[in-house]
Amino acid sequence: MNLLQHLINGLILGHAYALVAIGWTVLLGVARLVNFGHGQIYMLGAFVTWWAVARLGLPYPVAIGFAIGAGLLLGLIMQAAMLRLTFEQDLVSIMIVTLGFGHVMRGVAGLVFGGNPQVLETPLSYVDFELGGAWITGQDVMIVVVAIAVFALLRFGLERGALGRTARMVAEDPKLAQLAGIDVRRVYFSVFAFEGAAVALAAALVAPRTPILTNIGFEEVIITFVVVVLGGIGSVGGSYVAGVALGMFTALFGGFVSPAYASTAAFGLLILVLVLRPGGFALGARAGR
Amino acid sequence: MTPLLEARNLRVAYAGHRALEVPHLQLAPGELVGVVGANGAGKSTLVNALLGWSRGHPRVDGQVFVRGEDVSGMATHARVARGLSLVPEGGAVFMRLTVEENLAAAGPLDGSDRPAHSLDEIYALFPRLKERLHHLASALSGGERQMLAIARALRLGPSVLLLDEPSIGLAPKLVTEVLRQVRSLVGPKLSVLLVEQNLRAAIEVVDRLVLLERGRILAEGPVAAMRDDPRILQAYLGEAVA
Repeated sequence: MNLLQHLINGLILGHAYALVAIGWTVLLGVARLVNFGHGQIYMLGAFVTWWAVARLGLPYPVAIGFAIGAGLLLGLIMQAAMLRLTFEQDLVSIMIVTLGFGHVMRGVAGLVFGGNPQVLETPLSYVDFELGGAWITGQDVMIVVVAIAVFALLRFGLERGALGRTARMVAEDPKLAQLAGIDVRRVYFSVFAFEGAAVALAAALVAPRTPILTNIGFEEVIITFVVVVLGGIGSVGGSYVAGVALGMFTALFGGFVSPAYASTAAFGLLILVLVLRPGGFALGARAGR
Repeated sequence: MTPLLEARNLRVAYAGHRALEVPHLQLAPGELVGVVGANGAGKSTLVNALLGWSRGHPRVDGQVFVRGEDVSGMATHARVARGLSLVPEGGAVFMRLTVEENLAAAGPLDGSDRPAHSLDEIYALFPRLKERLHHLASALSGGERQMLAIARALRLGPSVLLLDEPSIGLAPKLVTEVLRQVRSLVGPKLSVLLVEQNLRAAIEVVDRLVLLERGRILAEGPVAAMRDDPRILQAYLGEAVA
């Protein structure tokens, strides 16, 4: 395989990583919260998309809407269950509760969708382009385009105007934000709903690249964690750079050294970057940016 | 005339221990009332309870009315929208936002029928803030932060401004300046409840004094009648002075 193909693979993988991680970035940046059920929302988003396309016969774009709706609903349910913990910023309990939610989601998915691997076929998977001897599918192009669009919108939205200010006020001091007339409870619900919807969107776009199983999702949480930490916690721009960089590194390491040790090398890179640059790749290093 | 703020049977308890018990308290339009008392008397507990706000987990009972409307069951942000505004102890501002962003973030609330202070009015009141517009709040001095915190509260268009120890950590000259500015704010549409440890400074600006001790109102009345009340000195000095 030529270098160009590895670079293209890395670019696509990197945008997929960034897209999977964006919900967590906002969750951490705005609400100082974590969601270890993130990977299982990814899994359910993939299954819902597959179910809508394969079982209901719906067009792929409509199926993506179904997945986003399911992710949003899951985010709201999780936040409703954890509201008291959220207000107390009890991160340890939130971590355990979200892990529990992840296992429940996995069990429910097995019950509803069965244990067999499923393949999500989309019209874009069959559209190929050749670029200097390297191949790229329409689905891959869509991942890159949507990831760039989501990051650009979010960075624009969080940097300018009232939305960004509100996010930064809640991130800095949720109690004080209440005195500024902000409905912090609504902000927390919105952020969790966004987190669920964003990861479900990522699943709907990325899942056609791999078989869909109920045990997928754990790797996505780990990748998300690496991207969010490398990017500088809460930094939207930093997460984008970190996602693309991690994808590039994984593809090039896998292509030229060993695919079996790509994850090991990625964590080695994480340690190295955090030792040399504790703030990660944060651009501006401000919460919500 | 309907009071701008009224509290009835306000009780606050932490982990079952009573911290405050106020049968009745009210602020008439255009009134500046000082709440004084020794450390731990329940002054901050009182203003926090009026807003349903706390960094702890108190149990709060009783009724709070703003311009005649019962706001007791409302969350803090909703009470702010009804016209209650609190500047907590230490002049809390958003440290990672600039002065300009702090003021913009506290812009007039949607749907409010009360006039909010415009930015020009804020700069006329606190010219120093205009000079420091693009500085992060974390780079301001204690006095400037206090001014910013008050300015931020005024931008919300309050009917009642609750100030918790605005003089804390300030140089004596600055205390006089800040309290004089507070006095100038009071009018028919804005009353102020001033919690103040600095009794001498408070007496110079308030209309009425409420003396708290161990969570209860020990005495209250017009400042002229209260300024020589021995119970005030007793509360502060912890010994009978009469």
